[in-house]
Amino acid sequence: MEVLALLDCLSAPACLLSQAVGGLKIGMLLFLVASGLTLIFGVLGIINFAHGILYMLGAYFAWQAMELTGHFGLSVLIGAIGVGIFGLAFERGLIKRVYESNLLIQILLCYAVILIVDDLVMIIWGDEFLSSIGVPEIFQVPPLFIFDAVIPPFHLAIIFTSLLIAILLWMLMTRSRFGSLVRAAAINPKMLEALGINTNFIRYSVFVLGSFLAGLGGALAASERSIVSQMGNSILIESFIVTVIGGMGSIGGAFLASLIIGMARSFGAVAMPLFTDGLMFLIMVLVLILRPRGIMGEKK
Amino acid sequence: MLILKNVTKSFGGIIATNDVSMKLKPGSINAIIGPNGAGKTTLFNLITGKIKNDAGQIFIEDKNITGLSELQITHLGVARAFQITNIFPSFSVKESITAAILAKNHGLNNIWKRFKDHPAQEESKNIAAITGLDEVFNIQSDELSHGDQKLLDIALALAMKPQVLLLDEPTAGMGSEERWKMINRVKDLWKKTNMTLVFIEHDMDIVFNVAQKIYVLHQGEILAEGSPKSIKNNQNVIDAYLGGGQKKNEST
Amino acid sequence: MNVSIKDSFKKDAIYSVVSWIALLSLYFIFNDHGIQDIITKVAILGLFAMSLNILIGYLGLIAFGHATFFAAGAYTLGLFLQSDFIIEYNIGSWSIPIALSLSVLLPGILATIVGVICIRLREIYFSFLTLAFQMIFYSLILALVGITGGDQGLMGGFPKPPFLGIDLGIHFHFYAFTTFIVILAVFLMRQIIESPFGYGLRMIRDNHERPAALGFNIRSHQLLAFIIAGSLAGLAGSLQALLDVGAYPEWAFWSKSAEPLFMILLGGMQTFLGPLLGALIFELLNDFVSANTRYYGLILGLVILIFVLGFKKGLLDWIVIRGRKN
Repeated sequence: MEVLALLDCLSAPACLLSQAVGGLKIGMLLFLVASGLTLIFGVLGIINFAHGILYMLGAYFAWQAMELTGHFGLSVLIGAIGVGIFGLAFERGLIKRVYESNLLIQILLCYAVILIVDDLVMIIWGDEFLSSIGVPEIFQVPPLFIFDAVIPPFHLAIIFTSLLIAILLWMLMTRSRFGSLVRAAAINPKMLEALGINTNFIRYSVFVLGSFLAGLGGALAASERSIVSQMGNSILIESFIVTVIGGMGSIGGAFLASLIIGMARSFGAVAMPLFTDGLMFLIMVLVLILRPRGIMGEKK
Repeated sequence: MLILKNVTKSFGGIIATNDVSMKLKPGSINAIIGPNGAGKTTLFNLITGKIKNDAGQIFIEDKNITGLSELQITHLGVARAFQITNIFPSFSVKESITAAILAKNHGLNNIWKRFKDHPAQEESKNIAAITGLDEVFNIQSDELSHGDQKLLDIALALAMKPQVLLLDEPTAGMGSEERWKMINRVKDLWKKTNMTLVFIEHDMDIVFNVAQKIYVLHQGEILAEGSPKSIKNNQNVIDAYLGGGQKKNEST
Repeated sequence: MNVSIKDSFKKDAIYSVVSWIALLSLYFIFNDHGIQDIITKVAILGLFAMSLNILIGYLGLIAFGHATFFAAGAYTLGLFLQSDFIIEYNIGSWSIPIALSLSVLLPGILATIVGVICIRLREIYFSFLTLAFQMIFYSLILALVGITGGDQGLMGGFPKPPFLGIDLGIHFHFYAFTTFIVILAVFLMRQIIESPFGYGLRMIRDNHERPAALGFNIRSHQLLAFIIAGSLAGLAGSLQALLDVGAYPEWAFWSKSAEPLFMILLGGMQTFLGPLLGALIFELLNDFVSANTRYYGLILGLVILIFVLGFKKGLLDWIVIRGRKN
């Protein structure tokens, strides 16, 4: 472990700032994916092990839309909505059938979907890496220099967009009728049914919302990274970590945990480049041992 | 002999058991009655160490068992059957009782013998016989009738060869005829062994007929205790509980 | 009574010997390295899946990090056989037996440490914790490049000196030895599952609350099962390392833990040999699909869907249940 490198970075404003912005960007994109995962667990009681492919599909859909329209914002939106629709089909077609099944069956169903979708993507788009869809024109400017830290304005844009979405999500969950129904469904679905409310509708709309967010995350990430069918794997694992650390089912917890993981990734890359993943899992193990419900999870 | 001295337990400020003292004679048969939420099952959970009391002490013979774990207390001779049947669905009656016998003797740690050939299988036959399960001896537990499942739950407790047996509503969910059949079987069991038996029961006819001593629990406190006769005539009991309870029984 | 104890034990022992002889005859019936190697691979994967099924099928714990111990066994064997220790202490012909023993022992110790922590949690939390430990282990393998070779895996091969007249360099010797070890391990598992201890596992699976009121300490039981399962997975991993003359970090990745889950699903979890049948189907599927199409995942995924949504149980479970009904 390179403690000195880390100390050097922490004491140099340039390194500190650029790593912090990098960490924020990673964390916020992660939040988009993980918030859906935690929401789906909270309401549907299902661990969506196939959540990573939603992120991956978001990137492919956006790439395809970009080829056709050439408009960045539109492509990202199409990517996210496309994944939302995919999520609807996934939930109604498959997930619905395993609500009552045991964990093993749920895991394997998701594993099957991962295998199938990965191959379908390979059939449609080929197994070569696709190049990123690129940054929109207004952000194709020289980076900002703040305290000598190199900060691409586009990263700031991603951070603010994700933050905006996080706020909208939070308002949706706390201020709207839909939000209160969702929270009620998470606590006592039978009660809602007794009140004549269609819990099926709540279930799939939550799944669609979660898919949309993951797709949005993938589409935004596609602006800078190359696109490949395995790209969902690592974000899936990270989303699990976030879900567990934040408390399963807690959106606020997912937000906090995403930031922690984003920073751990960013600064971990300086301190122990080969063990960054291990570091995140170590945090996860510690949380599970000391506080299995996560930092903001509620006791049921 | 089971003795409770000023046992108190509260859950988040709500008192479930308040200053309860009891002294159960060895070999006696006792009933606990009281409305729902009176703290009857909580009392059983306290005695068996499933939950820990906040204050007071519990003794078996001279041994202070306060604060011991459920496992330790079980090994000291306290066994129980549950209100909601608590059995092993994939086990046959034979396997269930055998497993319970082995559990008591730490026999389940044995890796070198074969369960199906274990001598305890023979012993399980006797327990099945005295609980009236011999006819369904080889049936899988989840295929048994409700009454037989309750009996199996009791048989599991009996396999412990307990000094003190706690039965939480052995007649729950049964019709009147079935209830009497069940309680007569329990009484029979008690006569054959020399256990101290405590049962929770709602049916007053049963309680007054079977129990030697009755404890009336109300809001976590002992409202009255004594022989069936004295309880029947206790004005407090009549006012607080018995009147309502009898009506309820008539209506069911 | 004592006679019958020996009887059911003896019966299984005879089955084991007969199976081994049958497998040896298969070697000569199919005089084809391809088919012989499939049998070896199925034996190894089957052992891996069966060891996991102690936890899933009998104890009811969905362990999602079982490949940790598989990889630990593989790396233990490889690293030991590559070490200078062998030359320094002139172990020579004993190096394979010692390496295999260590490959059971060290994963067993690892399983003790992981198990003590994991079994405190239940259901999904247990699964997540086992997954997290697995990924830490995986990250360690990648990070400790100097020892493990990092993402390249354990390269450079290792010697397999003959012992007791067995030369694992000879194809038939390797086949006979591997199948022997696997059958021995399966026989041991059979004994464990059919022992009072094994029924204790089933009790915990069926009802988590009641055992304590019967004076039965489930924690120590769960831990011991976890250690046994981990040790046997280590053995499977070490045999795989012997076969491939190396060890790879993918063996510690989470997808490697999904494989035995899939085999258990295919073959059945309520029947003792179910996972072994699952391993056979898995390997045949693997071989057939990858020989005929590039779209391996597509076919495999569809097969899983058919089992998950259609049969809802493994093949052998299904057959046994049908058989009982008729």
